[in-house]
Amino acid sequence: MEAKRPVDLEPSVRVEHLHVSFGGREVLHDLSAQFAPGEITVILGRSGSGKSTFLRALNRLNECFPGSATRGSVRLKLQGQWRDIYREALPLTELRRRVGMVMQTPHLLPVSIAANLALPLKLVLGLPRREIPARVAGALKEAHLWEEVADRLDAPAHTLSGGQQQRLCLARVLALEPEILLVDEPTASLDFRASLKVEELLLSLKERYTIIAVSHSLSQARRLADAALIFRDGSVAERLSREDLQAPDTLQALLEEIF
Amino acid sequence: MIKRLTSLAQACSWLAVVTTLGLVLLLLGFLGLRGFDALNPALFFGKTPAWAAITARLPVWHGIWPACVGTVTLVLLASLLAIPLGLASGIYLASYAPGPWKRWFALAVELLAAIPSIVMGLFGFALILFLKKTLAPQANTCLLLSAGCLALLVLPYLILMTQTTLEALPSELRLTGLSLGFTPWQNLVHILLPAGGRGILSGVILAVGRAAEDTAVILLTGVVANAGLPSGILGKYEALPFHIFYLAAEARSDAELAQGFGAALVLLLLTAALFLGAYYLQNTLAKAWKQKDLLI
Repeated sequence: MEAKRPVDLEPSVRVEHLHVSFGGREVLHDLSAQFAPGEITVILGRSGSGKSTFLRALNRLNECFPGSATRGSVRLKLQGQWRDIYREALPLTELRRRVGMVMQTPHLLPVSIAANLALPLKLVLGLPRREIPARVAGALKEAHLWEEVADRLDAPAHTLSGGQQQRLCLARVLALEPEILLVDEPTASLDFRASLKVEELLLSLKERYTIIAVSHSLSQARRLADAALIFRDGSVAERLSREDLQAPDTLQALLEEIF
Repeated sequence: MIKRLTSLAQACSWLAVVTTLGLVLLLLGFLGLRGFDALNPALFFGKTPAWAAITARLPVWHGIWPACVGTVTLVLLASLLAIPLGLASGIYLASYAPGPWKRWFALAVELLAAIPSIVMGLFGFALILFLKKTLAPQANTCLLLSAGCLALLVLPYLILMTQTTLEALPSELRLTGLSLGFTPWQNLVHILLPAGGRGILSGVILAVGRAAEDTAVILLTGVVANAGLPSGILGKYEALPFHIFYLAAEARSDAELAQGFGAALVLLLLTAALFLGAYYLQNTLAKAWKQKDLLI
């Protein structure tokens, strides 16, 4: 299965010869890939194939883990400019705000719903106090959460349901005005209906962001993906287009490959 | 079989809880019973009018007021020295110390924790003798020296509680702030420390309690039986634990012994008040953090 559809949009993420290791054990091996804006690229692969490590290489979050070492180049187009994030002195805080990340399980701060969004706005963007409420509301609306939480913004964030918590995490990232969204199995901890809601949300966001999502579910990939990368042993085994994903024979091959 | 073992274990743990609680209540009851009658203005101020004593216009004889002031000043001063240092060391150990350093540093903290308080007092005493013979001939045992030695004594509680609390926080919490673009410092101050507030508070409470009750350290470093109100941090002072110790050892009448029990009860109440103060402060901070009063 070769890529049948070339990437027709100018990419906004170019990864070349990426190696990532932890304590000498290589997790990503000579990985190259590119991602286009306005698309959702879904990364599929067995557990341990390096999917999450790859996402964390794009916002340099691997460096928060002991013994990590990264080689190769990751170039991102941020504000119309190509930045090589491992070579240029792009401040980490700036990078991580522009490349927003949503994790597998909702990583909430143990504070109120509003404060979950307000705190990063205040600390990372240095937004003046009076501008914060509008921005919080805007992000909650963008994440399709506003109507569900508007009357209880002071409530502790963990009182929300799992799906709502995950959308709150997404809202928190959106509030910081990112350009690239990294989404690590966002529905792993959710039931089917809540998952569908998060998927709808991602589809509605894809026009404005480059979205790279890790998924465990082939059917989810078929619903979301404009393109899919199959990871095997820390590098890209295959790249599939949307049409490839829908084709029944591909499906069978994929099932054997991944599961 | 397993069921029987479980119920045995349950019974044992209940027994342990009841015994501990019972002993604490017994102690409190005994102190309350013996000390309550002595609780009156005369216990605090002797024959000096209360207001004149509180405003320090007249000296107090045969009252524990100077000792109360001495103890509160001592505890505050020791906390002022120990809390920032203890928190900073705990944070360093939990978040920044590289492996080999961490082991050595942790060993040093354990050694410090193992030092008996009388040895810490001797250390302070020897330090003053050394200073007297070398750099500062006029140096003498005083409030500052006691506070310094007490700070050293309680430092391990603060370091260990801060370190274990921070290390016990879920790793997701650490990553959340960083993934949003917080600097490590912002992550520490705005997320990790507030989230670990309760644990750090218990370290502070342990430290304050220990500093308030210790007698051995202050015995050798500046406390005296009759000094009046502390004249300054370089002066001698009185303190409640020493006063209690002194009365217990040398009471010449039942009235003096009753005063000892009264003083013990006051020390207990004073420590409780300090705990409540610390608890209130932590609670207020936690509430402000949870709401961030940045609401729509």
